[in-house]
Amino acid sequence: MFIEYTWLIPVIPLIFFVIIGLTGNKTPKEGGIIAIIGALASLVLSVLVVYEFLTGPAYNGGVGYVTDAVTWFSIPGGFTLTLGYYVDGLTCVMLMFSSLISLLIFIYSIGYMHDQGKRNRRYFAEVSLFLAGMLGLIISNNYLMTFVFWEIMGLCSYLLIGFWSFRHPEGDVASDNAASAAKKAFIVTRLGDVSFMGGLFVLLYAFQSLDYVNLFDPAAIAAVDTNLIVLATLLLFGGAIGKSAQFPLQDWLPDAMAGPTTVSALIHAATMVKAGVYLVARSYPLFVQSADVMLLVGLIGGITAILAASMALNNMNIKKVLAYSTISQLGYMIMALGAGGYMMAIGMKEGNTALIAAGAAGYTAGVFHMFNHAFFKALLFLGSGSVIHSCGTEDMREMGGLGKKMKWTSITMLIGSMSIAGFPFFSGFWSKDLVLESVMKASEFGPEGDIFMIIWILGVVTAFMTAFYMFRMWYMTFAGPEGHATEHSHGESPSTMTVPLMLLSIFAFGSGFLILFGLDGIITISPDSITGAFIVGMHEGHGAVHYIEELFTNPYTYLTIVLALLGIYIAYLMYSKFSVNPGRFNREGESRLYKALEKRWWFPQLYDWISWKFGYGIAKGVDYFDRNVIDGTVNGLSGSVVGSGESAKYVQTGNVGNYASIVMIGVAAVFVAALILIYYMGGM
Amino acid sequence: MIPIEFFLMFSAILFVIGIYGIMTKNNAIVVLMCIELVLNAANINLVAFAAYNGDIMGQVFVVFTVAVAACEVAVGIAILLNAYKMKKTTVIDDLTELRW
Amino acid sequence: MFDEIFAEIPILILLLVIPLVGAVATLFMGGERQKYAKYVAGAFSGVTLVLAILLMFVDNTALLSENYLWIDAANIRISFILEMDGLSLLMVLLTALLVFLVVVFSASESDRPNYFHTLIMAMELGLMGVYLSADYFLFYIMWEVTLIPMYFMISWYGGPRRHYAAIKFFIYTHIASLVMLIGIFAVVFEAAAVNPGVIADFSFAAVNAASGSFGEVFQVLVFGLLFFGFAVKMPAVPFHTWLPDAHVEAPTGGSVLLAGVMLKMGSYGIIRVALNALPDGAIWWAEIILVVALISIVYGAYACIAQTDLKKMVAYSSINHMGMVMLGIAASLLYVKYAASPDASIAQIGIMFAVFQMFAHGLVTAVLFMVCGYTGHALGTREIPLLGGLAGKLPAYATFMMVGFMASLGLPGLVGFWGEFGVIFSFYVAAEAMGMIWLIVFCLLSIMLNAGFYIWAMQRTLFGRETTKIDLSHVHDVSKAEGFALAVLCVIIALFGIWPDFALGYIETFVANFAIPGV
Repeated sequence: MFIEYTWLIPVIPLIFFVIIGLTGNKTPKEGGIIAIIGALASLVLSVLVVYEFLTGPAYNGGVGYVTDAVTWFSIPGGFTLTLGYYVDGLTCVMLMFSSLISLLIFIYSIGYMHDQGKRNRRYFAEVSLFLAGMLGLIISNNYLMTFVFWEIMGLCSYLLIGFWSFRHPEGDVASDNAASAAKKAFIVTRLGDVSFMGGLFVLLYAFQSLDYVNLFDPAAIAAVDTNLIVLATLLLFGGAIGKSAQFPLQDWLPDAMAGPTTVSALIHAATMVKAGVYLVARSYPLFVQSADVMLLVGLIGGITAILAASMALNNMNIKKVLAYSTISQLGYMIMALGAGGYMMAIGMKEGNTALIAAGAAGYTAGVFHMFNHAFFKALLFLGSGSVIHSCGTEDMREMGGLGKKMKWTSITMLIGSMSIAGFPFFSGFWSKDLVLESVMKASEFGPEGDIFMIIWILGVVTAFMTAFYMFRMWYMTFAGPEGHATEHSHGESPSTMTVPLMLLSIFAFGSGFLILFGLDGIITISPDSITGAFIVGMHEGHGAVHYIEELFTNPYTYLTIVLALLGIYIAYLMYSKFSVNPGRFNREGESRLYKALEKRWWFPQLYDWISWKFGYGIAKGVDYFDRNVIDGTVNGLSGSVVGSGESAKYVQTGNVGNYASIVMIGVAAVFVAALILIYYMGGM
Repeated sequence: MIPIEFFLMFSAILFVIGIYGIMTKNNAIVVLMCIELVLNAANINLVAFAAYNGDIMGQVFVVFTVAVAACEVAVGIAILLNAYKMKKTTVIDDLTELRW
Repeated sequence: MFDEIFAEIPILILLLVIPLVGAVATLFMGGERQKYAKYVAGAFSGVTLVLAILLMFVDNTALLSENYLWIDAANIRISFILEMDGLSLLMVLLTALLVFLVVVFSASESDRPNYFHTLIMAMELGLMGVYLSADYFLFYIMWEVTLIPMYFMISWYGGPRRHYAAIKFFIYTHIASLVMLIGIFAVVFEAAAVNPGVIADFSFAAVNAASGSFGEVFQVLVFGLLFFGFAVKMPAVPFHTWLPDAHVEAPTGGSVLLAGVMLKMGSYGIIRVALNALPDGAIWWAEIILVVALISIVYGAYACIAQTDLKKMVAYSSINHMGMVMLGIAASLLYVKYAASPDASIAQIGIMFAVFQMFAHGLVTAVLFMVCGYTGHALGTREIPLLGGLAGKLPAYATFMMVGFMASLGLPGLVGFWGEFGVIFSFYVAAEAMGMIWLIVFCLLSIMLNAGFYIWAMQRTLFGRETTKIDLSHVHDVSKAEGFALAVLCVIIALFGIWPDFALGYIETFVANFAIPGV
């Protein structure tokens, strides 16, 4: 009874976007209250829909999804595009964490943005539109609708990164930075979006439809040329690379931190950047048609994870550290999906059910990590926002010793840091170990399995780095002697900010335990043994005993625990106890590696070089060609007409005698010619 | 009856004299007069052919031409008078304003 | 819904007569009365708009055909035929809407406003005539009628280099229309020649009926003439250089109509005239059309990046977007040419979305030129390097600019996306038939470049530090009249973006009855 109204979930924030946009300044908190009501309504409806779905027949033994659609428009030749909703286990998980975190961040924004005055109208209108985009993406029943909402999110991301792109409270340089970061984010993700769009064309051509129901139908997949599917999945993955900031398009995300911290938490940590991972997870039935594609997915994830983690090691900006860690964790998710899909692809080819089940576990790991990450990363960003709000700087060197002044913030952030570092029994621990376990397992199969061994090593090293840089951040901020900014800080933030932090920290600690109570049953995917149709959610999980047994009998689990603890301990020695000088390892910031990290492995230069050479450089050439060659030809033609007239005009002497002479000569010439002609023609 | 060749010869001589005058004379009045000669040379031809063919059409044209010539002289003299007012000359070689 | 009423009144000819009366009325409003010219023009264009909107609700389009014999002598028959179908309807609607909004937007025009509005109304007459006529002679006359008011618009109300731009515009497009005229004469008299005893009838129907018996070589040659005429108008690279100059110098109202509806005359001509009269020629030329389209797309997008004048950038973006229209046409032809067994309905996709793209571009580009026009007259300059940080000072202006740019770069949810999406999809289908799907890369590159130059321009004009190079102290945000015109357009852009079927429905019935060459 509620599930038929799933389409309302994104429509509510959309309507509230219009209301805030038109009347925001006349409403309480410049539209803040309205935005919260909208998010709350969406959350309530989401909960009802999820509850109804999970207790309904479709999930419990049915096809595993509920979908309905109306025709949007049709293209001649039998291509039909629809608007509708598609609810399955993945949708449920995404809906829950997106709407819940959005609501908490909206509440937090009231406190964080209180000094922005009339600008809040714009802020709350844009975040409402963003929420509509995210929820619309999650419930959409076809790729085209997904793409539409995907782009709407991109627009909101652009607008919100650029929130301070004019009249920045900190002056013109900050405005310029925000404007430039917004541009970069839009254009770099647009590169991925264009690839996504290319994928849509391939899929639409191949399947005559973009509805998930039709695309994931095994009979339809079997009828389509596999090469087309491989091409389509590669193009779709290009979209995911852009949106989820994967290598080599990862570099927009750190710059995106120029936006307000709430925006970073909402868009660039908890929700929008997950869209790429979601797209891969959603398209699993297509992706698993080729093991090679999945290998590429896993490899990109692994490279991204370690590359981003390395750049977080020495960064001094609290938000940038978190941004790199977001990229790194997104790499984990993509890595897990790649490993799982690799196994599933091989399993499906060989008809090996055990391998398919192992692949499903990889999928579970990826989605589960996405779920956990949303909570602890939102918590960490909001915590950092609380810190920034209090001391007015993002530079961690000026902080330190904030723990005493900001008790709640420091405790909640500690929980978040422990979670992301993989401290045992915190949520990050469960999902991260599942990810690594899947990758490890994938290395045992197939001709290219060894590559997954390398990816696993990258993952383990990343886990160690994660623990180190997260606690480096925590110690630099909250422990040690009081920094310059700490002395001037305002103390603890208002309760509109700390209450969301506390709520999030409960999830950041506890969300991992959900897997012991059957969450894995909702977020797994498996081809039906009879029909071959992919079913998301098997309605029964493995349960607590299975996981605890599997985790704690696996020696590698202990390896990662030890590495995480080691990372935390090193961070403690360096940044809290100060018994080890970090400068020893980088020659006081002079080593080549340190500089490479500071320069972000030269990615910004690479982007600049490409855009200047292949964008502006060619454009200048085209412009020159246009002005001189093409327009030059046009002007030259008209010039030659004018010029020939110029030179011919001197025949007009103005002397009547001359004219008369010419006329007479002409007449005489014609007369003589006529006579000669007649003579030779033999006339007369 | 006088043979037609006489008339044609006479008209040709008149025509050539007129053309010669147009091309060589500097005074605009003389040029106008020479133009009249040329026109009348044509008139003589028309009249002669009309008489020999017994067709009245040629003479009609002559009357028409005479009327046109009168108009032309009127306009020509008017232009000349104006040119003389502005330039104080009727020498054609000096009146070369209408050129490039 | 209004079928019975329209059966009684000759509504199509009213669409021509009302602007004509408006033009004459405003022409004689000299002296003291000239400040009321805008109300007169507004009233006449408003009535035309209402009529055009009412036409959307006519179910039986067969009613919408009016035929008057004009000249019937010396074995030549020229008729005054007006006909309407889905394609004409969208173009007429676009014309009526933009003319009305231009009149509203130009409310503050103080230099000889009566003549300004006369020119606008005269242009509306010509445009309506082009989009409604079903007779080659009438078509050509109306085509020329649009040219002359635009010439005066540029040379009277234009910028500093207006005389150069106006002459260039006039001669360039006039040469093109003369070439087109030769092509028109060729098809008309060939149609009379291939059927002995038939007189030279200029109506579309008579020529189309005879087109089957045209020889191959004749078709190829004459299609070249017609294509040149239309390609200059669209404009396609390399015949485009009149456009940036004309736009840079033209007043805002002129630019809006020039880019919004006059460029569509080119693509309209290709679809309505060239494809129908010379199907075999069209098929022969398909690859050349494709190459011209792809070059226009990529070249136009690149040229945009290098521009420093905001309006010139937008002008080049028109070349890019009209290239998309041509690409859709080429896609239909190529699909028919290369597919092993061409499916008639799949062949329609390209033309269908080409038409949609024409409509979408008309709406979007109107917003863009209005924004550029405002920039020019409010800030005194349109040079991007002199602007910056305007969003703080001029929020409404910034919002309209952003909507326009986003729609133009193809953001889903706004109308520009669907045109591009459909055209590229149709081209993908054609490329698949040709076995060269890598060609799609050019389209994707164009989308990318579009995002690049629009976002970059926005960063430099709206965001960042507030400019100190020009004096902003006396600058006011868009006026009520300007805001009204822009807001109406933005709402329509969003409306068609959310539900493209509003327009696609009309196009679908049009292409269903359209004879795609070779099918």
